Amino acid sequence: MLAEVLTQLVTVIVILLPLSIAVFVGRERLAQTRAEWRSRLRTAGPVIVVLLIVLLINRVARQTAPKLSREIGIHLTSTFYNVEGEFILIFQSIQTAETNAYFSTIYVYGYTFLLIFPVIAYFTLSDTRVFRRLLTAYALNYAIGLVLYIFIIAYGPRNLMPAELMERMLYDTNPQYQYLTSEVNSNTNVFPSLHTSLSATVATFAWMTRSAFPKWFPVAVVLAASVAISTMYLGIHWGIDVTAGLLLAALCVSLSDRFVDRWSLAELSEQFGDRIPWGQEHD
Amino acid sequence: MNWNPTPSEDSVSRRSFLAAGAAGAAITTSGCIDRVRSVVNHSTTDQLSLSIATVPADADRQNVQIARRLEERLEKVGIDVALDMRSRSELLEAVLLDHDFDLYVGLHPADYDPDFLYEALHSTYASEAGWQNPFGFTNMAFDTRLEEQRQTDGEDRTEDVKWVLRGLSQEKPFEPICFPDEYRVARADRFDGWEDGRLATRYGYLGLEPADDITRLHALVTNSRMTVNLNPLSSTFRKRGMVIDLLYDSLGTEYEGDVTPWLAESWDLPAESADTSESTHTATVTLRRGCQFHDGELVTADDVAFTYRFLEDTSLGRAPLKSPAPRYQGHVDVIDEITIESDYELTFTVTGGREPFKRALTVPILPAHIWRERVNQHAVSGEFTAPQGRWSVVTDNNVPPVGSGPFQFDTRTEGESLRLRRYDDHFTLRAGVELPEPTLEELRFTVDPGSASSIGRIDDGGADVTASMLGAYSLGAIPDSSTIEQLKSPSRMFYHIGFNVRNSPFSNSHFRRAITQLLDKNAIVEDVFYGNATPTATPVSGDWVPSDLEWDGEDPVTPFVGSNGTLNVKAAKKAFERAGFRYDDNGRLLGGY
Repeated sequence: MLAEVLTQLVTVIVILLPLSIAVFVGRERLAQTRAEWRSRLRTAGPVIVVLLIVLLINRVARQTAPKLSREIGIHLTSTFYNVEGEFILIFQSIQTAETNAYFSTIYVYGYTFLLIFPVIAYFTLSDTRVFRRLLTAYALNYAIGLVLYIFIIAYGPRNLMPAELMERMLYDTNPQYQYLTSEVNSNTNVFPSLHTSLSATVATFAWMTRSAFPKWFPVAVVLAASVAISTMYLGIHWGIDVTAGLLLAALCVSLSDRFVDRWSLAELSEQFGDRIPWGQEHD
Repeated sequence: MNWNPTPSEDSVSRRSFLAAGAAGAAITTSGCIDRVRSVVNHSTTDQLSLSIATVPADADRQNVQIARRLEERLEKVGIDVALDMRSRSELLEAVLLDHDFDLYVGLHPADYDPDFLYEALHSTYASEAGWQNPFGFTNMAFDTRLEEQRQTDGEDRTEDVKWVLRGLSQEKPFEPICFPDEYRVARADRFDGWEDGRLATRYGYLGLEPADDITRLHALVTNSRMTVNLNPLSSTFRKRGMVIDLLYDSLGTEYEGDVTPWLAESWDLPAESADTSESTHTATVTLRRGCQFHDGELVTADDVAFTYRFLEDTSLGRAPLKSPAPRYQGHVDVIDEITIESDYELTFTVTGGREPFKRALTVPILPAHIWRERVNQHAVSGEFTAPQGRWSVVTDNNVPPVGSGPFQFDTRTEGESLRLRRYDDHFTLRAGVELPEPTLEELRFTVDPGSASSIGRIDDGGADVTASMLGAYSLGAIPDSSTIEQLKSPSRMFYHIGFNVRNSPFSNSHFRRAITQLLDKNAIVEDVFYGNATPTATPVSGDWVPSDLEWDGEDPVTPFVGSNGTLNVKAAKKAFERAGFRYDDNGRLLGGY
């Protein structure tokens, strides 16, 4: 089941990526990238390593974090529900079979695409700063999200109002996605909505790079907004989670500006090079 | 029959309330605020607030829907309500072990015989952990009748049970809502002999007739608890103990309400019309010879005697206080003494009649050499304490489990799957034993959290049967196809609301009654279960139910205040006022009274 869903997801992304590269990036940048990719990778290397480490920790934490969370976390389901009540049920008014299909697709495929495409797009820019900032922001989103997931235990609306959300619950209409998301997440990890924060992060970067990728900007904004709405429409997140996701995105984008280029590897190796054996090889 | 609450009730509940209050204070000061889930306030000028504990829809969709209905109604009558959502084992921990809740919505495991009400309600269990009186209910008159139904047989016993059911419908330490229909689906072309879908018992997996070349059964479960913990004594990881039934043998096995010899070859029970003036009876049990546990050790009378003693006190007399097992304790309480006559013969001295004794014969027989060793190991590590229901011996995951049952543990992946393989030396496989046997080499249980996706998976041929009871919402999704067989079995389990009667205001039975009148059980059955449940006023069904408590379209004792599913708020508030509560000018129910 999981294999089937994953294959579908990979297929869709593999088809979408070359198409969107052709539309949004253009041949010129690709050609230049072919010439410069080594040096760009070298500059961005440390950031890539950091992101990979964060993702790895996230992966491992999926096993251990729930136990830790049960020990030290605070239960907030009833608080969220008391604060916002049945807010997310306002999406009932736009509920049709088509919107169900749209938001389910966006939640799974749209989101994955939205996250992967900018990584490629920004790598084609000669100046790697945006690329490094994006990866830094991703890493921050995951890292901060993980910490919040440990401290805050809350179930999403679908766990509280199954009857009202019945017809549009992702796992009822498309049970196969359950296998995918249960791989990635536990059902008490709802605050904040990482779908929202990562999508909003991408949209913010799209705005910052709108002169370089003018066509991508509107697409990213529409996709990101759709992802944020889909999390509520499908009953996965509370409005509070989405709000927190937006704030987290803002925080991560601004922190990425501060962190990137703050420490250069050359300086670090100069400073500590004589003490670290492998540091000397770089000279 | 007249219902007279005993005058002693009040003083007892006040005492237990004080005790509970002291315990609550101790927990609060220990610094872990989050564990205190009771939110009741006792101020005379503030609004009464309380919390309803429930499980998320992922675990049980009906459960949370009932909780939300109740929440909405309680708010209408001016009570401030918080929904406390916990995973299944966490909810059971709070209710069964910590007794830290106001009220909860849950599915009671019940049993085939109404004797389960003994452990559910008897005062001696009010402070114990487990399904033994989680409500903290104490009532002398109940105790007497609960004991009497254990002593008597036939008509007399029926009368005692009826008395208890009548009393229950008035006192309401818990309120039964409905018995859900148990539906499962199986592939039609792979196995025969599903035994009317008794997949909650060992009979569901024994005596199956597979089609040619099929040696494995792949079952889906919606809950992962069996992949995490296989301790037969855990009260938070077990419901009806289906897997334990497969891994462990019991002396007798229950089928359609009767218990017949299983690990016991034969028994000699006290006569049906035994003289009830005598307080004890004796029974002899003869074991099958040469049965072995999965580790090769022989099953002897010593293991049997050990099991019953161990369930009574899991510390085996080492702890300063007895530490009864959080499960099965009510079963074994009828046994006064056990004498080992020989390696294969035992004499039981029983304080109850035939039926409760037969029920005691259904507990799993544990290998003495393993469990004695666990208790001893614990003794090595310094001071011996065995907090009842909480200490490691009764909570550890017990992996790999060693029983003598028809299937043995093979492998598991926590949260994902559990694999059992046939125990080839099981006595049911012997020539001349006319009992259903394990016909399959392997049983595989895979966790598939959704009922709807489980049905889809059976339809696709991805598994053979759904072992868990399907959620009512998904029943409409069962495809009408010849490749799928629908298995229906009536349930003894019932959805209910449990009150923590240790604490005010739940110690007030009028308050509890006022709450139960907010529930429209008919509407719950229609809207939440789509008609696939039977509303009830009693926790048992069938001939035990007195005619005046039979369901006749509405609850015969505490009917819903309202009509057509709409609550009559004014009338409902009246009931709270009659219970001694006051409302402020804004229509909010005040905490003190």
